[in-house]
Amino acid sequence: MSFGTFFLRRMLMVIPLLVGIVFVTFMLIRVGGLDPVGRLAGPTATAEEFEMIRAELGLDQPVWVQFAIYAGKVAQGDLGESWLSNRPVLDDILERTVISLELLLWGVGIGALIGIPVGVRAAFRPDGRFDQISRILSLFGFSIPTYWLGLVMLFVFFYLLGWAPPGIGRISLMVSPPDFITGSYLIDALLTANWPAFGSAFSHMVLPVICLAIVSAAPIIKHTRAIALEVLSSDAVRYARASGLPARIVRKLVLRNSATPVLTFVGTEVTGLVGTMSLIEYVFAWGGLGQYGLNAIVRGDFTAVQGYVLSLALFSVIVFLIIDFVVFLIEPRAELQ
Amino acid sequence: MTGGVATAGNGTRPAGARTAIVNRAIGLARLSPTATAGLLIILFFGFLALFADALMPHDPELAFAQRVLQPPSADHWLGTDGNGMDVLSRVIYGSRFGFGIAIPAVLISLLIGIPVGLFAGYRGGMLDEVLMRFFDGLRVFPSIILALAVVAATGPSLLNVVLVLGFLDSPVFARVVRSEVLALRSSVFVEAAVAAGNPTWRIMFVHLLPNAIQGAMAQSAVRAAWAVRISATLAFLGVGIQAPTPEWGAMIRQGAEFMITGQWWVALFPGIALIFLVFGLNMFGDGLQELLNPRRKAAK
Repeated sequence: MSFGTFFLRRMLMVIPLLVGIVFVTFMLIRVGGLDPVGRLAGPTATAEEFEMIRAELGLDQPVWVQFAIYAGKVAQGDLGESWLSNRPVLDDILERTVISLELLLWGVGIGALIGIPVGVRAAFRPDGRFDQISRILSLFGFSIPTYWLGLVMLFVFFYLLGWAPPGIGRISLMVSPPDFITGSYLIDALLTANWPAFGSAFSHMVLPVICLAIVSAAPIIKHTRAIALEVLSSDAVRYARASGLPARIVRKLVLRNSATPVLTFVGTEVTGLVGTMSLIEYVFAWGGLGQYGLNAIVRGDFTAVQGYVLSLALFSVIVFLIIDFVVFLIEPRAELQ
Repeated sequence: MTGGVATAGNGTRPAGARTAIVNRAIGLARLSPTATAGLLIILFFGFLALFADALMPHDPELAFAQRVLQPPSADHWLGTDGNGMDVLSRVIYGSRFGFGIAIPAVLISLLIGIPVGLFAGYRGGMLDEVLMRFFDGLRVFPSIILALAVVAATGPSLLNVVLVLGFLDSPVFARVVRSEVLALRSSVFVEAAVAAGNPTWRIMFVHLLPNAIQGAMAQSAVRAAWAVRISATLAFLGVGIQAPTPEWGAMIRQGAEFMITGQWWVALFPGIALIFLVFGLNMFGDGLQELLNPRRKAAK
């Protein structure tokens, strides 16, 4: 199969998924039986005003018509307005996406840099001391509540040691943020050679990134180990060992054959970690999409919640697509199921 | 006095039986130290939850107005929180919420997931296809966020938390059971049962279920850990159980602001309790899964 046909067929498979995603986000409000009319109309509204707002929102229509209206709006990029701020949800989300992506990529990147070598090494000697220690640590990483870890880190590194900034925002209030280029303070400061801003942005980033790296390394260790173990017991590797190839070459063979499933796993994990990242953003007042979404959930701003959940799902779809394409390119025997 | 009676009771039992039980326990513990350690942690918290009333030094919701935010002392071993409530008592009582949410939530997931998995795996066809696509589709939503959003939409009561967690987690069990049923569907004992004229429901629930349920059982400890974590997260955000209730997540929420002003004990201790319960459940589940893994058995 050429890359072109693979690309097309894979893209076609996304369409029903997108419809399903829009349906779930639509149901999110229905399932709670929430009535946005009461909120929008205010306490002094008359019965007629209520009816007007209902008609305006399309709430007097049957559910499937409402869904069609909602889906149509989403398709045009209209995610509605926040019930609380009256700003278009799409603008809010777009503004914050880069801010969150920056944190996510650093965190998971470092987590993978720790997790993959540890997992592979553990697999080479299963039940050895290294394996047992790494297994306990990874189970521990699974069990730590992210937000609590963030709070403890703030206590130790801000209150006790005074090494870290207080954990409000991405840059010190005393430092003016760099000129807007990409939205990431770190990159923007680097591009404009704004060193005070770079230093401040960097120091604000260390704790949340470490937090996310710890939490993301745990599952990566576990799965890399499982994948490498499977590869180690495969015929190819057993043959290589039986042929007396040096350990260095066997190791290379294992790494090469583990690469695809590990990559797939890390990609899937990125999409799952978006929730964890939101909690870290919440604790460190990061001001990204995650904090926006959690605030919307806490305050009951349901158009914003819908937009947030929708954008996370779209993010997952895009990541899955990228993984599939990359896997197809490095492993052409992969087929669509 | 009761202790003496218990010893006498043990003494009347044949000595051989007792050592056999102990030996068996030691053997099991050797087989999987991870699962045993996990089980011990779970039992410890189970003990706290059951005997909370006797173990708590103070009423968990009694506010000592004169002793707000006091560091750990002889009278309050883990200090007092912002309302002047005893942190130790609250941490002990909090274990009830851990179990009270995790157990029913996992039971609900099992009750939904197992029949769905059985049916999809045994019947196959369109229904199976649609269900699996649906479950695959649900994966694009991060589980924490979906749980948070649905609980927030349905209202933050204990019952809703349990129902939502149980419902959202049921695909996990459906998947596990389905894959086992698929492997067993064409085995000889199922064919024999069909040939003997058993009705479909009997084949599914009497013949397949006991053989297909192992994986789901091992999985349930890990899912209980998930339920404990998510329910605490909900409470931390103020969406689930609300503040003066001694739930661990809610306590961490109360203590969050004090972490940057130096009163670490309010949020630290409920967090440690939460980590250990989740850790114990994860260890137990992980150990069980490894025991059930045929590759490992073959290797030993």
